[in-house]
Amino acid sequence: MVDMVIVPATRGQLGVLPGHVATIAELKPGIMSVHDGNGVTKYFVSSGFAFVHANSFADLIAVEAVPLDRIDACLVWKGLPEFTQKLKSASTDLEKAEVQIGVDVHSALNSP
Amino acid sequence: MAMAALRREGRRFAPLLSPRPIAAAAPRSSPSFLSPEEDVPFGARSISTQVVRNRMKSVKNIQKITKAMKMVAASKLRAIQIRAENSRGLWQPFIALLGDTPSIDVKKNVIVTVSSDKGLCGGINSTSVRLSKGLLKLNSGPDKEPKYVVVGEKAKVQLIRDSRKHIHLTISELTKIPLNYTQVSVLADDIIKNVEFDALKIVFNKFHSVVSFIPTVSTVLSPEVVEREVESGSGKLGELDSYEIEGGSTRGETLQNLAEFQFSCVMFNAVLENACSEMGARMSAMDSSSRNAGEVLDRLTLTYNRTRQAAITTELTEIISGASALEG
Repeated sequence: MVDMVIVPATRGQLGVLPGHVATIAELKPGIMSVHDGNGVTKYFVSSGFAFVHANSFADLIAVEAVPLDRIDACLVWKGLPEFTQKLKSASTDLEKAEVQIGVDVHSALNSP
Repeated sequence: MAMAALRREGRRFAPLLSPRPIAAAAPRSSPSFLSPEEDVPFGARSISTQVVRNRMKSVKNIQKITKAMKMVAASKLRAIQIRAENSRGLWQPFIALLGDTPSIDVKKNVIVTVSSDKGLCGGINSTSVRLSKGLLKLNSGPDKEPKYVVVGEKAKVQLIRDSRKHIHLTISELTKIPLNYTQVSVLADDIIKNVEFDALKIVFNKFHSVVSFIPTVSTVLSPEVVEREVESGSGKLGELDSYEIEGGSTRGETLQNLAEFQFSCVMFNAVLENACSEMGARMSAMDSSSRNAGEVLDRLTLTYNRTRQAAITTELTEIISGASALEG
């Protein structure tokens, strides 16, 4: 039983509290945080889906989810300008998509 | 009863364990003692135990090999069992959302049979194939065309024999590199791109315990079918309407993504569970094989000893009768 969950949906952060209306949300890479009485646990999710059921149960399916304390902060710091550079030099659509994903992931990781 | 058991073991035993008592035969060597493969120089007296000894050596080797295979399978099982149990959580939310409708009536069924590449794993592949064939029969009709997508060599060999025209795609050597989600999602992507389906039925062996593997079918519906079911308003899917879709996409697009994701999750779990079942089945098959080899070895040892002792007795008898002939 937790108090609140914040998930990174495609349109932005979605906060889910008990009694939330039933929802299917597609996720983009970002930070998911679970708030319960004692504190907040943050995870990085790569992408996936979040289902909120009418009985106040929420399911989160992600391709990869890592607790935030396992992520190396300086690598993230270095990665973001690197990927932003690559974005400028990417030529094919596929490359652009890959690099854009890198930029999104790193900027999401950089935010907290 | 013993003869029936011997017949099962191999016909080569019969001449060696014939009911003729060996000691009562003439002391001179008679060719009937020797098994047909043996070639004895004229005038030799000994009954050869070479054949039995060779057979004992080979059976002992078999016992060692099957014991080693059992150990290997046990260690691989331990590693993969944890992963399989953890991956069960992947498809549970989908069932919570969409329900499970294995008996849904659709036109284009695609049966994905998951099996192993290597043999010596008991009967799990045969049960999967039997279940797939049953599903095919159940789902064939005037305008329904079920198809197979076969994963793994063992099922391919069995299905190609009588259902070759139904097989759409075969995939093998999946377990050459340790299973991971990326590989399975690429596979799922390939299948979705190349096969038109209304419902995907994934047949695999679910791992319940080291000795019990249950053939299972998981159903994944295509987005169009889900849409149709939502509209008809029946069952779990009928309630899908009450779910709000977050984000800009329409329900159709979300359902499409959902179906693809669900398929790759279910495939991942299916492949892991099947690999677990394969290891467990191989463990028990190799275990009974080495136990069998032990029993055969015991029987052969008895034969060997009896033959050896008979030869010694014959020699002794000759010597003694010769000596007593000289004396008296």
